[in-house]
Amino acid sequence: MDTKKVLILVSLFVLLVVLVVLFFNRGGEEKIKQGPDAASQPIDVEPGEDVKLKKITLFFPSEGDSLLHPEEREIVVSSSLVKEAKRTILALLEGSKNGYLSPFPPETRLREVYFTNEGIAYVDFSREIQDKHISGSTAEMATVFSVVNSLTYNFKPIKRVFILIEGGEKETLGGHINLSRPFLPKYDLIAE
Amino acid sequence: MLNVFGRGFDSRRLHHESSKDVKDRVQNQERTSRFLLFSIALLFFFSFSSLQNPPVLKSSAVDSPQLSQERSLREKKIVIIDPGHGGLETGAKGKFGTEEKNVTLAISQKLKAIIERNLAFRVVLTRDKDIDVSLDSRAAIANNNRADVFISIHINGSYRKEARGAETFFLSMNATDEEARRLAYLENSSAEFEEGILEDNQDEIQMILWDMAQAAYLKQSSQLAEFIQKELNLLQGTANRGIKQAPFKVLMGVACPAVLVEVAFISNPDEEKKLGTAEFQQSAAQAIYRGLVNYIKASAQD
Repeated sequence: MDTKKVLILVSLFVLLVVLVVLFFNRGGEEKIKQGPDAASQPIDVEPGEDVKLKKITLFFPSEGDSLLHPEEREIVVSSSLVKEAKRTILALLEGSKNGYLSPFPPETRLREVYFTNEGIAYVDFSREIQDKHISGSTAEMATVFSVVNSLTYNFKPIKRVFILIEGGEKETLGGHINLSRPFLPKYDLIAE
Repeated sequence: MLNVFGRGFDSRRLHHESSKDVKDRVQNQERTSRFLLFSIALLFFFSFSSLQNPPVLKSSAVDSPQLSQERSLREKKIVIIDPGHGGLETGAKGKFGTEEKNVTLAISQKLKAIIERNLAFRVVLTRDKDIDVSLDSRAAIANNNRADVFISIHINGSYRKEARGAETFFLSMNATDEEARRLAYLENSSAEFEEGILEDNQDEIQMILWDMAQAAYLKQSSQLAEFIQKELNLLQGTANRGIKQAPFKVLMGVACPAVLVEVAFISNPDEEKKLGTAEFQQSAAQAIYRGLVNYIKASAQD
């Protein structure tokens, strides 16, 4: 009897949460179907927005060596740098289409991207990027510099990248690479 | 940093505003105070070196390079070994459940034993059991003990299962041009770091200085890294692997030559198995020891 009540309560609660989430996200997440490529489109295209595509280059680690490998992708053009940067990171989180490795724990979400006049992009990830990170210097460098290089390489105004977690500054991902300063790109990690 | 900048600023303003007489007087004063400072520094230096060297060594007057090398090994250097991670912070984990924090402690303890058996050095571990130690306090332990060398021992992890072998890192400052200018200034005034600080120092300016203390030792750190990497390459048959540079939190505040050694990859099942054995831990410690000895010999020649 009791377990039944609890079950009903839990399912009601879940339903409520789902409804609330759907209600608040409706404006931001409406997808525009754009032919066969639509599935890979970023989710934050707004209804009125002109849908033009541009090529960007993402950087992924590979099984073959300890370098970062370029992979081209298309994102929807925006007049806002922050929006394009956000789409770039979302594409990076989606993972490689050429079989490269993902340098992120699969549960990692992008919370927000900010940009300041000093040329620093702040990329705010959910806690999983730290909590579920496999740790190790090489793994941490792959995570950090796939983000940093993917932004600085594609967007001239972005000179440095600061990685935030859950809106705040953290010391490291897993005890190695220092996150409390903005990163300059490290292009010597990129494969030819 | 502020007080030094302040002093420079003041005297410049004086030069600008005063007549020739005042200028001369100021210059004279500056000369006298510089002389005084220099003599105090000399006094300090000699009293310190007489404190730290065993009296036997001071009698030998002229040294051949060979002699000075051996002497550098007999001088009581202070080596800090930093077993990576610890406590709740396990570090990287292997497929078979090996945890980085346990392997780093085992190798560090073996390295300490080897150094103490062979050399008259003082060896301090930043932790000797399974406890949490913050990255800042690890650097503070080194600085408060007036360390000559800092070696952080880690086990690597990668998204690639194939990744294998050792990697030795030294700090990259990740600095902009403006910061690089400030760092160059630091490099010329590393004497400031020889004072020692409290582990819970709250003074923000001090902290900024300390945050970049390693900037003054990058060259020596890269040499130390070379010597250690060479020995680990021999041990593991990774012939051409060079040293690497990355912005490691634990190295930033260390005011002496400092490296971070990634002994092998725990994410590689073969290496994970090896890392769990006392034999491999011992031979890794021996390789790091040989690298350290070669570094100290080479730096005595400079």
